[in-house]
Amino acid sequence: MAKTYLHGKPVEGVIEVHEHVSPASSYVKVLSALFVLTGITYAVSFANLGPASLPVAMVVALIKATLVCMYFMHLRYDDRYHVFVFLSTIIFVAIFFTFTMFDLVSRPRLNEEQDTFFRVHQGGDWNDAQRAKNIDKYPALEVPGVPHAADAKADAKADAKADAKAGDAKAAAPGKAP
Amino acid sequence: MTSPPAHGTHGPDVEHDAAHPFFQHHYNTPGQQAAAAKLGMWVFLGTEILMFSGLFLAYFIVRMFYPEMVLGSGELLDKTWGGVNTVVLLTSSFTMAMAVRSAQVGDQAKLVRNLIFTIFFALCFMVVKYIEYSGKFSHGIFPGKYFDYERAAQYMIEHGHEPVMGLPHIFFGLYFCMTGLHGVHVLVGIGVLLWILMRAKKGQFGPTYFTPVENVGLYWHLVDLVWIFLFPLLYLVK
Repeated sequence: MAKTYLHGKPVEGVIEVHEHVSPASSYVKVLSALFVLTGITYAVSFANLGPASLPVAMVVALIKATLVCMYFMHLRYDDRYHVFVFLSTIIFVAIFFTFTMFDLVSRPRLNEEQDTFFRVHQGGDWNDAQRAKNIDKYPALEVPGVPHAADAKADAKADAKADAKAGDAKAAAPGKAP
Repeated sequence: MTSPPAHGTHGPDVEHDAAHPFFQHHYNTPGQQAAAAKLGMWVFLGTEILMFSGLFLAYFIVRMFYPEMVLGSGELLDKTWGGVNTVVLLTSSFTMAMAVRSAQVGDQAKLVRNLIFTIFFALCFMVVKYIEYSGKFSHGIFPGKYFDYERAAQYMIEHGHEPVMGLPHIFFGLYFCMTGLHGVHVLVGIGVLLWILMRAKKGQFGPTYFTPVENVGLYWHLVDLVWIFLFPLLYLVK
């Protein structure tokens, strides 16, 4: 290798590639792991895990993302500063999520304290109207095993009445009472 | 053995034939140039993550407030097409990583071949997206105010679902925004991959210079990364 100079001084290793070159087999292994994990999420989605399905899906997705970042994106062998840039982005995303959620969760209580009343989404009136329109339009589209939407609507009304009796202010909103 | 360049001369201090032809005069060393480009790419990827995070947060908020609506609407998306697209995108990420590796070891033929594979899988992804979108559009499932509730409800009943209560047009608005923005990223990815392919065919990349291949690879892996989260959240919710 020819001797090179930087600012008039001889330096070494200028054109050396410091990049880690991963063997092709490691990429094949990572790809197989990603396929297996995709199969797991796909299979788990049919298992009706209920409230646990979201955390399970997210954990699997996080493992997949970590594999992609570490091996495909070379973060494992890369300059640590790139890891820092990436992780600090994640930290800011976490701040964004957490503070928005704080706001959303605490807002109803604050509104109550200040006697602020917002008319929001009173049990899906718009949707009920749309559904009623559909039922009239497609009365023949009743599918066995699926409760008829009209019955469901009646149930919903009965529920609303029960809720109103129970003293739920939302269900007893004006315009909703029969 | 070359003599040290005189002070005050313009141009690279490092002797020229030792560096690659794309070495810019304002960098001290090719390594510095590569590191600067890569750091810039990572900062850009950070902004991309922040941009997508807004949509993900919107999804979580809607899911928190209207869980039944989100879960019911999610049933209408085709899990199998979503799974196929996941496999396609993961494979394209793999071929992209192999393309970067080929450039690193100086295997010209493999580099070109892997780039062509990556572009092919990206096009496959867009074809599947087209099938999915046209399927939704043909049943009146449009984003936001264009959502045709009557046709969508008929479609839901035909599929053995009860018409989704709540605000399904909000879910599909999110679905089209998230997958649409991701799809735009795939299209941009195809564009930059074609540019890299053209440069690779000219033989511009090798063990001493592969920064563009690597940075396009990083971008492509990020597109993959976003899909890794989109797929379970939108298609596999339950």
